[in-house]
Amino acid sequence: MVAHPGDPGHSRSARRLNEPRPALVVCEEGVPTAVDRVRVAELREEWRVDDRWWTEEPVERRYFEVLLETGRNVVVFRDEASGKWFRQSA
Amino acid sequence: MIACLSIPGFSLRAPLARRPELKGKPVALAPMPGARPLIGSCTRAADEAGVRPGMRLSEALATCPRLELVEQDPAGVEEAWEALLRRLEQAGFAVEPAQPGCVYFETRGVERLAGGLEQALRRALEAVGEEWGARVGAASRRFAALAAATVAPAGRALVIDDGEAHLFLEPLPLDLLPLSPERREELSELGVKRLGELARLPGAAVTDRLGADGAEAWQLVRGEGDASVEPRRPPAEIAESLSFPEPVANELTLARALAALVERLLARPERDGRAPRQLALSAKLVGGGSWRRSLTLREPTAEPDRLRLALASKLAELPAPTTELRLELGELTESVGTQAELVRPRGSRLRERLRVGLRQARAAVGLEAVCTVVEVAPWSRIPETRAILVPRDD
Repeated sequence: MVAHPGDPGHSRSARRLNEPRPALVVCEEGVPTAVDRVRVAELREEWRVDDRWWTEEPVERRYFEVLLETGRNVVVFRDEASGKWFRQSA
Repeated sequence: MIACLSIPGFSLRAPLARRPELKGKPVALAPMPGARPLIGSCTRAADEAGVRPGMRLSEALATCPRLELVEQDPAGVEEAWEALLRRLEQAGFAVEPAQPGCVYFETRGVERLAGGLEQALRRALEAVGEEWGARVGAASRRFAALAAATVAPAGRALVIDDGEAHLFLEPLPLDLLPLSPERREELSELGVKRLGELARLPGAAVTDRLGADGAEAWQLVRGEGDASVEPRRPPAEIAESLSFPEPVANELTLARALAALVERLLARPERDGRAPRQLALSAKLVGGGSWRRSLTLREPTAEPDRLRLALASKLAELPAPTTELRLELGELTESVGTQAELVRPRGSRLRERLRVGLRQARAAVGLEAVCTVVEVAPWSRIPETRAILVPRDD
């Protein structure tokens, strides 16, 4: 029996890779001093992403690449619209 | 007898069937993105308000400010039409579809089953269902059957006996004939506005003035048209679709999504080693409409590269960003006997082992456990839009 072309069983969704994950960030004057309760040892880089301003869902983010005291390198960003912090591999 | 089942304005009825809130309202089919801004079919309420198919969009909105526009949905129309054809086939009719909303079939076989011609036609209408407003015409020739279906009220059948066909056709307008609007206008300027008026003209004069098209039209109105139906073979198709987390327009992403679809379809067990001769590519567009293109291959093939190559040119015709891409393989045929390989290509054993491993992982964890990372917009400044995970089937 051949499946009917309308068979929804063969419709699968592609998923996004590298979705932002919520992070607990403590900051001073807008710069992170701790990420997920681990102190920041060094601020390595900082940049802004302003994109899709022509759509109803503009992206306004301020990214920070920081070195934690544990030696891990992480990238966090602040979503300027919601004020929330996220972790993401940049 | 040949019967013609007609559903006027099918391209509008199909999308409206999914939007019951628009019932009874003035609605028209919006122009395709990038095409001339002319509206398509419209509902009775729109017609009563003065809107006509083919009107300029601005003129239609000025004529009827309450006019609602529905996006064209060729893929949805094709799907709904295929479902209706299957219902007719299940009721015992061998159908020859002419276009969405118009299908021919021979009644003879079903007449015996149903207990007469009228019962057979009623059976066809019941198979389609009341909601489509279908009507059926039956006659000994295709053209007369089409004319009868055009005249019959919704949900009813009209049978034209052989002897009355020319009387029935005589007062009908020229719109039914397969003539270009320019030819029809030319005839109208010559004072020929009804089928009967055309039938009374000498055949040689019509051919001389209007060429081959005119000669064919003249034969049709004199009842000399085709009297046979060529039923289709019910298609055996397999389809796969891929929906995107956000609308996609760039060629690279679409080409990669297409490659993933081809790969998945070729891996489907029901293909059973057969190669497709027909391909249909469709997409859901960002505005809510859809797009569809079909193509027939010169020879059936199951080689992914050749399939991708054949479809790539169609993909370039996409008129707007898409949220879902769908590929159907049709007319699957047995292998045509290509030359077997003497030496296995390098790495094939490794690929085979990998495939077995992936199959085991899928069996243990779930169907969507094995995915491919497809880079869709590596240049994007937003990290999560650079790549997507596409489930694999092989």
